[in-house]
Amino acid sequence: MSILVNKNSRAVIIGGRAGLNAAKRMAEFDFLCDKPLTVQAFVYPPEQGQQKEIYHGARIENIAVYSSLEPALSENPDIDVALIYIGAERAYDAAKQALEADNIRLVSMITEGVPERDSKRLAKIAQEKGKIFNGPSSIGILSAGMCRLGVIGGEFNNLKKCLLYRPGSFGVITKSGGLSNETMWLCAQNGDGISTTVSIGGDAYPGTDFVTYLEMFENDPETKAVVLVGEVGGSLEEEAAEWLKKEKRRIRLIAVVGGTCQEVLPQGMKFGHAGAKEGKGHSGSARSKMEKLAEAGALVPDTFGGLSKCIKQVYEELKAEGIIQPEPEVDDAVLPELPKRVQEVMKEGEVVVEPLVRTTIADDRGEEPRYMGYPASELCKNGYGIEHTIGLLWGKRLPSDEEAEIIKRIIMISADHGPAVSGAFGTIIASCAGIDMPQAVSAGMTMIGPRFGGAVTDAGKYFKMGAEEYPNDIPGFLAWMKKNVGPVPGIGHRVKSVKNPDQRVKYLVDYVKNHTNLHTPVLNFALEVEKVTTSKKGNLILNVDGTMGCILVDLGYPSHTLNGFFVLARTIGMIGHWIDQKEQNSRLIRLYDYLINYAVKDEREVPNMMTKEEA
Amino acid sequence: MAKILEGTAMKFFQKWGIPTPSYVVIMNPDKLKQLAEANKWMHESKLVVKAHEAIGGRFKLGLVKLGLNLEEADAAVREMIGKKVGTSEIKQVIIAEQLEHDEEYYISIHSNRYGSELLLSKYGGVDVEENWDKVQRLDIGIDETPTKEQLTDLALKAGFNGDIADRVAKIAGRLQLCFENEDAQSIEINPLVIRKSDMRFAALDAVMNVDWDARYRHPDWDFKPVSEIGRPYSEAELQIMDIDSRIKGSVKFVEVPGGEVALLPAGGGASVFYSDAVVARGGTIANYAEYSGDPPDWAVEALTETVCALPNIKHVIVGGAIANFTDVKATFTGIINGFRASKDKGLMDGVKIWVRRGGPNELAGLEMMRKLAEEGFDIHVFDRSMPLTDIVDLAMSS
Repeated sequence: MSILVNKNSRAVIIGGRAGLNAAKRMAEFDFLCDKPLTVQAFVYPPEQGQQKEIYHGARIENIAVYSSLEPALSENPDIDVALIYIGAERAYDAAKQALEADNIRLVSMITEGVPERDSKRLAKIAQEKGKIFNGPSSIGILSAGMCRLGVIGGEFNNLKKCLLYRPGSFGVITKSGGLSNETMWLCAQNGDGISTTVSIGGDAYPGTDFVTYLEMFENDPETKAVVLVGEVGGSLEEEAAEWLKKEKRRIRLIAVVGGTCQEVLPQGMKFGHAGAKEGKGHSGSARSKMEKLAEAGALVPDTFGGLSKCIKQVYEELKAEGIIQPEPEVDDAVLPELPKRVQEVMKEGEVVVEPLVRTTIADDRGEEPRYMGYPASELCKNGYGIEHTIGLLWGKRLPSDEEAEIIKRIIMISADHGPAVSGAFGTIIASCAGIDMPQAVSAGMTMIGPRFGGAVTDAGKYFKMGAEEYPNDIPGFLAWMKKNVGPVPGIGHRVKSVKNPDQRVKYLVDYVKNHTNLHTPVLNFALEVEKVTTSKKGNLILNVDGTMGCILVDLGYPSHTLNGFFVLARTIGMIGHWIDQKEQNSRLIRLYDYLINYAVKDEREVPNMMTKEEA
Repeated sequence: MAKILEGTAMKFFQKWGIPTPSYVVIMNPDKLKQLAEANKWMHESKLVVKAHEAIGGRFKLGLVKLGLNLEEADAAVREMIGKKVGTSEIKQVIIAEQLEHDEEYYISIHSNRYGSELLLSKYGGVDVEENWDKVQRLDIGIDETPTKEQLTDLALKAGFNGDIADRVAKIAGRLQLCFENEDAQSIEINPLVIRKSDMRFAALDAVMNVDWDARYRHPDWDFKPVSEIGRPYSEAELQIMDIDSRIKGSVKFVEVPGGEVALLPAGGGASVFYSDAVVARGGTIANYAEYSGDPPDWAVEALTETVCALPNIKHVIVGGAIANFTDVKATFTGIINGFRASKDKGLMDGVKIWVRRGGPNELAGLEMMRKLAEEGFDIHVFDRSMPLTDIVDLAMSS
């Protein structure tokens, strides 16, 4: 048996993150005791309509968040307990509503810093309604093997160590949250564990007093003794002493009271709890409380450390009297373990998980990213540049200095081509429409394809084929291309010609051929092709796309990677255009009518739509 | 709970129609003369000058001076402002009209579990203690307002009659309104005086406490609570209070000069028992402290350095119950950093550290503490199997 809560108790949590955390802890207890989830609903207007994921063992349960208490209770008629996890300014209203709801019989509040007047009002409402208001500042209530309200009891392993999966004979009432946990541990270590533990909170005027709970324990046949942890301030301990003295009680009382050190501390000082403060003329002093409790027949150790012996003594006596039949020890092995996370089990080698993603280039698991095994900062320190990083991440090897220089030059040369080309223009239109940078740049990026920038890939691909299949047969290559592809990608320019060469091409070819030792069979082949095509027409020159494609293929980059160089290079330009337009606060771009040929029908009458019947 | 200064209480009284003597609060002695030009009463009545600070026993310390004329008051103000009392300095004085009166009464209202209790006596001033049995009481439930009849009845029972009974009842009613509306926890007026010639009443001296937790609903509260420990807070105490007000969870610290055992325990409840155990075992505590509610490690680190800086300490007690949700490893990380910083300053020589704790990540946290021995700390670490306060017994018998 237990007091206040049992296996059938169901709760709504009013509050946000702290409440969710409590619900997760409560679910661990529910799992340990093999019972359904205690928390059935949350009330928290900012997250109304969401579902919170709570692990019940390995199973995920989704608990709804409601905007107010009313629908939470009408949709979950089993709820009879409300836990208040909301800030001090709203705690009163939340608790009042809960106390006024028909189904709720117990409200427990963890909120600290609640004005005293509010606590007193709530206590009064609870009394009028015949309900219990526990707290404020209460860590919670726990009935062993039955129900856990709040984070009381701590970690999962502590629940087991404190034997909280099955009822024992000791009731516990404390003001302090930490000491409620400590006392449960002492009852498990020196006795047979607890029936119910209630933390009433350390405020000056707790909603429910010690005597109310003592009376409940007295009426709970399974509770044989109660450990009460009190402290300086107020008169709840004195009232407990009077209650004990008043008539013969069935339960044994062990009590410890904190605050005797007040005698050597500055008068009027306040300890960690709001209510722990000695009153006028030493009223509510720890010493007088201890004396009154001892006088009334409670066992009162002089320090908290002495509590262990007292619990052991009472336990042995009750056992000798036959009042407590010792519980058989439960083998730890039969108790459930919290399901492990996948990572933990994998580490132990008990399970194989097929990976979703495989990577061969980069690793983020250490202190910093590594590219092909090289820490990024080490690369910087050793003087490597962005061109080496491209080589590592795209070509999977550290390029030689020569190779790196070529890559760098290709990127530089193709970084931008003015505002008129499709990519830059797309970015500019988007920028002028007020679009943010990533989207505007990607608008320009979507232009890259067969007609804009795509020639790099195709040129590399076909010149490589030509160099391999038609090494000494340019006409044969051109004939094959004409038949299967059409115009040769990488050949031809709108304005440039033999007489007016593209300086970028001239420079690149000169650099690669005369200033590096790169072996360039594909570029050589393309230049041979150019000789033939320019003899037919002056503007059928090897253009910059074709030159880049050939050089990159000669560098060993497979054709599917070639577009990357253009995409990367042009991104630099497009970002520049976006920034430029943004900084000028450019107007929205709209085409003028005179730039459009409206090849359209004249205005005409819209025919009536056929109704269903007519059809 | 927050004690407020007399001047602040007087403002509340004026707001709620409780008669007070005329008064001014000043910080700059040169302003007194100017104020005197604006306030006729300062020339016409005898004056009282009081240090307006949270210092107990002001009368004995010569910080309350009676029966002064303006010149004497000016001298008293100049003497008091800037005066050092213990660790604190007097920054403000209150100058009030010393009302010549015929009788002194006592009236107070205190919070209790069900609401409040109103106390009234015809024998106020210094006589109140010895006439405590003559004090008349009225219980007032939460959200209830006593009727005029109830209050008059109380006044009659206390021995007042006629007009005076009516006036006392009216003042009692207003006191209750002030108490109720200002989220007060106690207001004590002693004495409430009367000058019968013109039936003038005044609250000559008052002590008032307000519920500091209720400040969110009182935007007009422009004051700070004053020290409740009979002396102003020390620099170190103020620093920890400042940290406490900024963090999730809490850290608390009060100095006790002359003690040898420094306390650094976790939990509002457990910390008190650790302090008790030191006293019970014949030790002297150098401070009270606690951290709780899973505070950030840097806050615990600051608290640790503050505790270790206490003079002449022989032991540091790092105690704590089995935490519900405070992460032992994280908070211990803060304590360990604090210990290291203190050791670098040479503060840990000859200091024994005693640790007992349980809770989330207890194994890792305790292991980290044990390793401090390798760095030359004299440290003794125990887990949950050691009864809570028994490390104090070990420390005291070491």
